[in-house]
Amino acid sequence: MKKNILILTLILFTGFISEAQVKKGDVLIKNGTVLTITKGTLDNTDVLIKDGKISRIGKNLKAPNGVQEIDATGKFIMPGIIDAHSHIALSSVNEGTSQVTAEVNMGDVIDPFDVSIYRALAGGVTSTHALHGSANVIGGESETLKLRYGTSNPEELKFEDAPRTIKFALGENPTRGGRSRGIQPSSRMGVEAMLRNSFNDAIAYRSTWAAYKADKNPRKVAPEYDLRMETLVDILDGKVLVHCHSYRADEIYMLLKVFTDFGIKKLTFQHANEAYKVASELAEFGASASVFADWWAYKLEVYWSTAYNATILTRNGVLTSINSDSGELIRHLFHEAAKTQKYGDLSDEEALSLITLNPAKQLGIDNRVGSIEVGKDADIAIFEGHPLSVYAIPVMTFVDGVKYFDRANDIADQRIYINPEEAVENITIFNREDEDRCMEEGVVSFEALFSNKK
Amino acid sequence: MKLLLTKTIRAVFLMLLTVSTVSLNAQSDPTGESAVTRTFAITNATVIQAPGKELKGATVVIKNGLIQAVGTNVTVPTNAQVIDGKDMFVYAGFIDGLANTGAKRPENTPRPNDLFSPDPPNDYAGITPEHSLLDQLDIESNTIASMRKEGFAISHSVPFGRMLPGAGSIILLGDKKHADELILSKDVTMFTQFAGAPGAYPGNVLGIMAKYRNLYRNAENNKKHYDSYAENPSGIERPERDRVTEAFFPVVTKQQAVMYDASGVLEVQRAMRLQKELGFRLMVGNVKQAWDLGQMFKDNGTGVFLSLDLPDAPKEAKGKDLDEMTEETKRLEARKVDFYKKYVGQAASLANSGVKFGFSSLDATSTKVKANLLTMIENGLSENDALAALTTNAASLLGIDKITGTVEAGKIANIMVSNAPYFTKDSQIKFMFVDGDKYDFEIKEKGAAGNGNRSAAAGNDPIVGSWTYNFETPNGASTGKMTFAKDGDTYTGKMTSNDGAPDANLQEVTFANGTLSFIFMIDAGGQSVELVVSGTVTGNQYDAEVTVSAFNFSTPMSATKDGQ
Repeated sequence: MKKNILILTLILFTGFISEAQVKKGDVLIKNGTVLTITKGTLDNTDVLIKDGKISRIGKNLKAPNGVQEIDATGKFIMPGIIDAHSHIALSSVNEGTSQVTAEVNMGDVIDPFDVSIYRALAGGVTSTHALHGSANVIGGESETLKLRYGTSNPEELKFEDAPRTIKFALGENPTRGGRSRGIQPSSRMGVEAMLRNSFNDAIAYRSTWAAYKADKNPRKVAPEYDLRMETLVDILDGKVLVHCHSYRADEIYMLLKVFTDFGIKKLTFQHANEAYKVASELAEFGASASVFADWWAYKLEVYWSTAYNATILTRNGVLTSINSDSGELIRHLFHEAAKTQKYGDLSDEEALSLITLNPAKQLGIDNRVGSIEVGKDADIAIFEGHPLSVYAIPVMTFVDGVKYFDRANDIADQRIYINPEEAVENITIFNREDEDRCMEEGVVSFEALFSNKK
Repeated sequence: MKLLLTKTIRAVFLMLLTVSTVSLNAQSDPTGESAVTRTFAITNATVIQAPGKELKGATVVIKNGLIQAVGTNVTVPTNAQVIDGKDMFVYAGFIDGLANTGAKRPENTPRPNDLFSPDPPNDYAGITPEHSLLDQLDIESNTIASMRKEGFAISHSVPFGRMLPGAGSIILLGDKKHADELILSKDVTMFTQFAGAPGAYPGNVLGIMAKYRNLYRNAENNKKHYDSYAENPSGIERPERDRVTEAFFPVVTKQQAVMYDASGVLEVQRAMRLQKELGFRLMVGNVKQAWDLGQMFKDNGTGVFLSLDLPDAPKEAKGKDLDEMTEETKRLEARKVDFYKKYVGQAASLANSGVKFGFSSLDATSTKVKANLLTMIENGLSENDALAALTTNAASLLGIDKITGTVEAGKIANIMVSNAPYFTKDSQIKFMFVDGDKYDFEIKEKGAAGNGNRSAAAGNDPIVGSWTYNFETPNGASTGKMTFAKDGDTYTGKMTSNDGAPDANLQEVTFANGTLSFIFMIDAGGQSVELVVSGTVTGNQYDAEVTVSAFNFSTPMSATKDGQ
């Protein structure tokens, strides 16, 4: 008993330390056009933020003592944009040496110094879904982030208590990795086989451990612990939301069948350029889709793409979001959402939902963010011009009521840590994840280092 | 007659005594190298027994490898070699918290035929925690002498490798005949790095973190299995004798700490994340960017060894260069200076937040150690805190404070003697005692000591001229010419490879105390890769090591000066 108390104290104590202390703000945003997403558009309305939460929405609100007022007359206030597919703020993207790496965790490799975070904030983005790359059939667990830029502590970027998510990948990327290493999978059939084998292994693992736990013998011997299998079991048990990189309708449909067979329900297809072909099947399964607005033609498997994808999916009842997968597109996801009005005539609310509430639902954080409602986190973007207009300019971005971007005070050098031996690091707007996309060429091999063929 | 008899008896007795002494010393010494005596007395010196504890006009007696007495009223033993310590300063020998000192880098593990990249053999994956520094310890390694020359008597040295290279041991930086004689404390830490296997799992920090958790959790379970089998094997499956899991047992039971090479602020926090989850005892070494982490270190009780390597100071623009600078460039330059200050002020800021730390020479050049310490002191580190980091704090972090770290009777005779207070620019180390053995160093003339170079007369420079070099690469031998020139106090150099690659300019060429170091960049498939070369010049021979930190690789290089 004493020992248990000791352990409990230790756990509480450790928990206390690891809990990062994030900043929360108080602010009153006055007299803006509030695009709530869930409760319509409110003209000349104030939003009061207390301790990082939206505490009141209404007219003629008074700022409590000491709370800063921001005049948003003529401006638009919308929920912070959420990017359901991003690789910014990560030190590594792929553990590409193996094709099933459910055990790895993007929470281990958060890079709070990535200037792309600030660029995303400057596009009104407040949260990203930091995904493992697409080199593996089953990649690693992802991390949902809040873009609290300015810290050196990676823990402070984590979206507290966001559900666990994991990256899967189908098609050309994992098979290219497999072929280049001479390992499975080298075809789409191999991808399916690996998925089924992995889940069957996980079922066997689960029953081995269940038998061990049920065994009353005090001298029982524990079976081998396998973090990869632990994660796969949690997927089977519905504790981890699956986000699957996919393009073609046949492979999307394949995964629906696999997940049906194994009873896995929480599934979002990422990219899913051909999802429009299986929209009704997705709706029936309850799977959602996170797509590009109109990005295509960068490889064969995206040949049959359409800018109407998001609209077709939405009209067929599939929960849909629009993502960036890029350190550049992330800066203007509001334009990406607006494209669905050009191609498909979505309403303002539908279009904005694609980059706010819908991705929040896909990440299981819609109880906290994705709309402007009392009680939700004060993750908010203020725009000059309607965010769906080509003239839209993001002017301020708040996370937990703390202002992380202000166009009026936009310091040119946003780097957090500086290399004192270099004036400017080699930073380009296209960042590391571009290398990972074509990783087989991007990585210099050790042998190439000493090769005479320069 | 009686008197004669007594005399004879005494003579015989003395003879016998002499004979027995000789036989006790075992072999004769044809080399004439062994010390005449192991008893020493440093008299009338300023003795800094511990940080802030100074004795003036004191005597230190060393006998049988131990400090026998320290004080102002100490009798000098008759058989002692007396060192006049007038104007000399006596310190405890320094302790290096994390280094490869004494370790010889093994041949790279060749890529196995038919490598299955998701599950490579442990030695290729770099998962060899069952290895020990002792497997790589080489008494001939010149790193031992070069660190001793800088005042270090003890090093916590770790083997070369990848993710889990093996156990670190605490060694004495002495000149010994057998590797065993160097060992003070064997296998005290499990050394861990964020270094992935080339093209195999774990390939990067993602896989390394996961693999570490997996190994640790299994070791916890396996330990229970082993224990219950040891207690009573009847009816229990025989545990597999897995060397990797067995190597984790002392970590799981917290007898052995885990030492991470964690130079960056993110690596430190990643190591701490694993520690919080798994609960092992954590030490981090080679730390370069921890100025924000003081509170975290204190909360977690992490043992910290800061890097003795520092970035080069940004050059201040003057005159025309300054006039031509845009405002933006000026701001960028100012930020470089700000961050330079953070690097050089790291030790001071951690000391101020109450963190007890030691130092690590892992990435440092031995000849720059003192200059870097002085830079840290200029940037706010107190001399007492610097000395504590080099001696008492390092000793207590490594659990050897009962036997070393101070100049006190009963401790191991690890002593450094300098000709001026150590933390002054012109001080030079005159003697080192390691484990009671004395090492003498030549004091250089003032002026010559000023720039730290054993500056040879112009025209007779040991470096300037053309050299033929040769080193092994994974693709075979690379040979060519290196030429060095000297402009004032600055060396420049160029390297021309015989394989037709473009000439490489040698940067940061330094030659001090017989050590020639430089770096050069080569182009590898469009990516610029830095190679660091450092080694000793003996006459017309240069023996060095080429290190490519980007690939955690090094290889020996030799060069011969042409035309001699």
